Amino acid sequence: MLGTTFVVILALSAGWYFLLRRRAMAAAGPRLADLHSRPSYHGFYAALGSFLAGTAVLLVVGIGWGLWNDMQLQNQIGQALPESSAIERQLVLSDAKAVADGALPSRSGELRSAVAERHATLETARQWGTAALALAAALAFGLLAWRRSDRDFRARNRTERMVTIVLWATAAIAVLTTLGIVLSLIFETANFFSNIGWRIDKFLFGTTWSPLSGVQSGQMNPDKVGAVPLFAGTFLITLIAMIVAVPIGLMAAIYLADFASPRTRSVVKPMLEILAGIPTVVYGFFAAITVAPFIRQSGEALGISVASESALAAGVVMGIMIIPFISSLSDDVINAVPQSLRDGSYGLGATKAETIRQVVLPSALPGIVSAVLLGVSRAVGETMIVVMAAGQGANLTLNPLEAVTTVTVQIVMLITGDTEASTAAGPAFTLGFTLFCITLLMNIIALRIVRRYRELYD
Amino acid sequence: MNDPRQISAQTEKALDSNDIKIRARDVQVYYGDNHAIKDVDVDILDKTVTAFIGPSGCGKSTFLRCINRMNDTIDIARIEGEILLDGQDIYDPSIDPVQLRAKVGMVFQKPNPFPKSIYDNIAYGPRIHGLARNRAELDEIVEKSLRRGAIWDEVKDRLDAPGTSLSGGQQQRLCIARAVATEPEVLLMDEPCSALDPIATAQVEELIDELRARYSVVIVTHSMQQAARVSQRTAFFHLGNLVEYGLTSDIFTNPRDSRTESYITGRIG
Ligand SMILES: Nc1ncnc2c1ncn2[C@@H]1O[C@H](COP(=O)(O)OP(=O)(O)OP(=O)(O)O)[C@@H](O)[C@H]1O
Ligand SMILES: [Mg+2]
Repeated sequence: MLGTTFVVILALSAGWYFLLRRRAMAAAGPRLADLHSRPSYHGFYAALGSFLAGTAVLLVVGIGWGLWNDMQLQNQIGQALPESSAIERQLVLSDAKAVADGALPSRSGELRSAVAERHATLETARQWGTAALALAAALAFGLLAWRRSDRDFRARNRTERMVTIVLWATAAIAVLTTLGIVLSLIFETANFFSNIGWRIDKFLFGTTWSPLSGVQSGQMNPDKVGAVPLFAGTFLITLIAMIVAVPIGLMAAIYLADFASPRTRSVVKPMLEILAGIPTVVYGFFAAITVAPFIRQSGEALGISVASESALAAGVVMGIMIIPFISSLSDDVINAVPQSLRDGSYGLGATKAETIRQVVLPSALPGIVSAVLLGVSRAVGETMIVVMAAGQGANLTLNPLEAVTTVTVQIVMLITGDTEASTAAGPAFTLGFTLFCITLLMNIIALRIVRRYRELYD
Repeated sequence: MNDPRQISAQTEKALDSNDIKIRARDVQVYYGDNHAIKDVDVDILDKTVTAFIGPSGCGKSTFLRCINRMNDTIDIARIEGEILLDGQDIYDPSIDPVQLRAKVGMVFQKPNPFPKSIYDNIAYGPRIHGLARNRAELDEIVEKSLRRGAIWDEVKDRLDAPGTSLSGGQQQRLCIARAVATEPEVLLMDEPCSALDPIATAQVEELIDELRARYSVVIVTHSMQQAARVSQRTAFFHLGNLVEYGLTSDIFTNPRDSRTESYITGRIG
């Protein structure tokens, strides 16, 4: 019903477009240039306006009316079962709706059928009412435009303002979503901290991570929520990944930008970028099934004991995953260093090596640093590879040959584990929030550096 | 006796082959299929300022870049013919272009300071070639070069500021100072004054005149007055050909080719 209404509104605004355009052309008289705005702007103004008005009414009235209906049904249930709890009433309501929709309710009964009947009438009224109001709004806007439209009507300015508002609204949605996520993270984090008696220090500096052991009533033991092993694990794996990714990525970038022939470059660069397109799950089982056993066997051959899941395996594979980020971004910034700077250096009798080391790399350094920081953000947030290849035990170790766990892995464990979601969510959200703060900080630094870099050549 | 042509004629007689710094024979340059320089023969003299003039796109910069092999950095550029520096073929495989460029310095058409401090911009060449034994000597080279680039007074209080923070004209003088700092035997200058005000231009011309005592200077310019003021020899290029080459005074007062005459009187280009 409401879907159909939406389609009708669309058709209606399309109709307004052609009508208003015709009208504007007629109003112009012999000289079309006498119009303040081009005829299509008159059309756009009416079409966009009636579409927005209709859709807005559809959404607002549709949702508001639905809430109002639910309130009335709640009242009805409340009068029938004055002693019931809120959850019980909610259950009755959803059963009644299921009955009305012809689906299977969890239980049936007299009250439920009565409520269902009431729901059906209210719902019909809501649908017809909303549709009528929405169509009326779409029609009314078009009529308004029709009345206003004449030679001097500033349709262009009004359309532009309307478009600006739409653009603003979409931007606002993005910002509000982010804000909402951050706020819920903060809220849940605060919840968790109050749950451990605000012993934030225990979370930040404690070395035992086992938050769900012995949890009964949602009350957690502050001595078992030390996140240090997780952050140490994340740090260790990130470090290994960067040790692999930065030199290889950077040197590959220098090769691509300053040594490779255009032909080689046009083949090698896309191939490197394919690495970035491989799903991390694939990297994950590559790490677990190929790399980790290889490392263990090599270790055994050398007489070193290596855990079957090791930080080294996960870190190395993660490093391979990050290479294309670093090489591709660095290659771009190295290429952005103007040829005239290189010429200036060659013109003074500098060799290629001197030119790259003393002119090209320093000029590109801010961009390279930010590429590395983006790589670090990736490594810190990476989950799949670590879940599969690094283990789950919260060991506090800096030995890359042992199994470690990371922040992201523990979040996965908490959320997918057997413990009730409401209990496990606390520590998971807190870890997520901490991780978010770290990556945010790094991204801010990276963006700062990139901005400073841009100013350099302007 | 005050006729400039007579004076030049006298100097002309005093020249012998030792005075030829650069000898170019039958030089062709191609950018892909574009034949940008055609059959150029020219002898550039030591301790002389040579001006290259000609309409835009006629190949002045291209030929200039051949002299210190800067065209090596352009993939599609191909050079044929022979260019001798002090009798040595600079395109001979045994010649290292890096060493060649240390001897044949270049100032580019567009200022290109490195994104380093003013001091480091100047010190770059001397450091690479080990011209200074210690910091004091380096300081001395930097100051001398900046003075010769006619920019010392403007930057002496902010040698640590980035070279890119200077104005366009200041950047160009910085680049001139940077090129002078490596003490090249030949200095190639591609329109060094196109971004400069008349005062700075006069200072740079003074510098060029001073350099002439020891070096060979080749300058590309679009200003006839500048060519006449600073150079002793002038080469006129047109559509990739070297149309006329001779004493500056001859070219400007008594051109042999009709194209030269139309160009210097403002009818082509
Ligand atoms: N890097 C390049 N790649 C391809 N063609 C080039 C390149 N540089 C110059 N050319 C071509 O060579 C010809 C000569 O160019 P050149 O830059 O030498 O002219 P110019 O005399 O210096 O002109 P201007 O006075 O405008 O600086 C032009 O036709 C130009 O299109
Ligand atoms: Mg040029």
